[in-house]
Amino acid sequence: MAYITDYQYYENNNVSPLEKNWGSYQYVSLEDIVSNFMLIYQGNNEILNNLERYQVLFHAKRGIQELNYDAMKEIKILQLTVDAQIRFVLPQDYINYVRISHYNNGVLFPMTENIQTMWSSAYLQDNNAKILFDLNGNVTKPENSLVDLSRQDGGMAQMYLGTGPYNGQMGYCCNGEWFFEYGIGSSFGLNTETANANPSFTINKEQGVIYFSSDMSGKSVVLEYVSDGMKNGNDSDISVNKLFEEFIYAYMRYSLLNSKYGVQEYIVNRARKEKTALLRNAKLRLSNMHPGRLLMNMRGQDKWIK
Amino acid sequence: MAMINNVRNTVLAIINKNNYGYLSPQDFNLYAQQAQMDLFEDYFYQYNQYINRENQRQSGTGYADIVKSLEEVIDSFSVQAFLTGGTANRWALPADYYLINKIFHYPRLLTNGTTTSSNTNQLINIALAGQPSPPAFNPIGTGFSPFPLVGSLVVNTDTLTESFVNSVVSVDTLNLATNIFTSVVVPPNENYSIFDANTIVEVERVSQNKLFYLTSSTLTSPSTLFPAYVLDGNNITVYPTTIQAAGAVKTQYIRYPKAPKWTFVSIVVGEPLFDASAADFQDFELPLSDEPGIIAKICQYVGIEIREAEVYNFGTQEEVQENQIQV
Repeated sequence: MAYITDYQYYENNNVSPLEKNWGSYQYVSLEDIVSNFMLIYQGNNEILNNLERYQVLFHAKRGIQELNYDAMKEIKILQLTVDAQIRFVLPQDYINYVRISHYNNGVLFPMTENIQTMWSSAYLQDNNAKILFDLNGNVTKPENSLVDLSRQDGGMAQMYLGTGPYNGQMGYCCNGEWFFEYGIGSSFGLNTETANANPSFTINKEQGVIYFSSDMSGKSVVLEYVSDGMKNGNDSDISVNKLFEEFIYAYMRYSLLNSKYGVQEYIVNRARKEKTALLRNAKLRLSNMHPGRLLMNMRGQDKWIK
Repeated sequence: MAMINNVRNTVLAIINKNNYGYLSPQDFNLYAQQAQMDLFEDYFYQYNQYINRENQRQSGTGYADIVKSLEEVIDSFSVQAFLTGGTANRWALPADYYLINKIFHYPRLLTNGTTTSSNTNQLINIALAGQPSPPAFNPIGTGFSPFPLVGSLVVNTDTLTESFVNSVVSVDTLNLATNIFTSVVVPPNENYSIFDANTIVEVERVSQNKLFYLTSSTLTSPSTLFPAYVLDGNNITVYPTTIQAAGAVKTQYIRYPKAPKWTFVSIVVGEPLFDASAADFQDFELPLSDEPGIIAKICQYVGIEIREAEVYNFGTQEEVQENQIQV
């Protein structure tokens, strides 16, 4: 893509959406990646030749997907209210969650993933527990299983539930602040993995929904998640941060050499090592270790830990 | 000096034996075409050979860059042409193509319409004023960019000729770089499309056996950014199927060399006299350096025609020698 004028950057040449080009310089588009690769890395005098563009495109997209999974911090955020069945349908481009929070009165309460079963399918049975079938010989199913129903009506006991913000302990309230004579929350035999008074959730990947505990009924949820960067199949929107550009080329070179017949193993290995080293570099670059930020973190070094 | 006359004179001199070796102009033209085609095709095989040599570091640069000179000859047959649209996303290829080097697509159609009047080097369409995107001109430098931008591609979709926008004169008139609207009928009613000349994407050739895998994959499915085509007969089918705008698909291809023709005027007594001014005259299109090769080839054909083994052998030896030098 050619460089753009300031007017194009700030106002998109007065074409809606005006903000289209804001921050675009950080990214290199998929179109540019494929064009550059075809121009520079494949040809009669290069290591790679006789490549079809669709092969290059495939590996470029695969590289971008891999980056989105574990290296890039391109987090998408979606806020929705849970539905009547206390669930949240996963967004179309969802791959994995980063954090799920309950939004209440301007505060985000991070929620814990429930390791207990919160849903189940069920078969209709008669009084003798024999499974009932329809005319086609298929098993019949109820709309909700007993597990589902108890999750929705709050009848399901959970190991996550506390008794309130201060575990029901006696204390003193002074100027709106609570004071206690001993540490709150100390509980012998407490399973720290599940110690959280906030509502909990569990993800049913196959159904594409997040189930919440019954206390989330009608509440607002903020889902932070990662996608694969494929922008719902719109190739012209796909891009990758320039800090990763060299890695993408290295990834494509390696993938193409690795799948090509007759390429010497030392060449494949060279490409593999280059790819791995560049991924490490790119991750370091993206970790944003600024002196200013480190200084802020280090200010906590003298804080007393009880 | 026409190369074809030199070749004919040389061939006649070689085959002349006791004044009975004769080659008629008609036969010469036939053999000349065969010889030229033979050498023309050879260029592509030689090109491949020299690429391989380059990769083995057996070929140099500068004056030793054989690949470059081969490319120059092949490129002298390079032609660009808009494809004629058939039904939907099917497009007809030019009849004279030897090798389709690339197909490309202009995805950004700025506007299209029909001319209402004609003037040299201008596109005039009075119906444009009042339409959603009429030409926007900038007579006193108001800071707005003219539309369509100077340099935009204008295609006469009836004649498939192209030009570029030089300036926007008014809301209904554009100045063009060349005269592509030449109809003398009033009103001319010539159809046109205007494209963004800077946005060009290559349409990739895909073999028929890969097509369905390609279109059914979410990662490689053809899009306007990465379109693809398959070849069947003298037509191509372009994917995605939405690529249908007239004048939006163009090709760069290597054409066949034109058939050489030694033209002449007959005189009552003696040899026909060479006439390079005849309307159907056609010289060889290969470079002058190929003259010995063409002569050797023609000698082989003529040797067979006049049943003269020595002529045939001479032609063959010359060709072998030539090839050895190149190796």
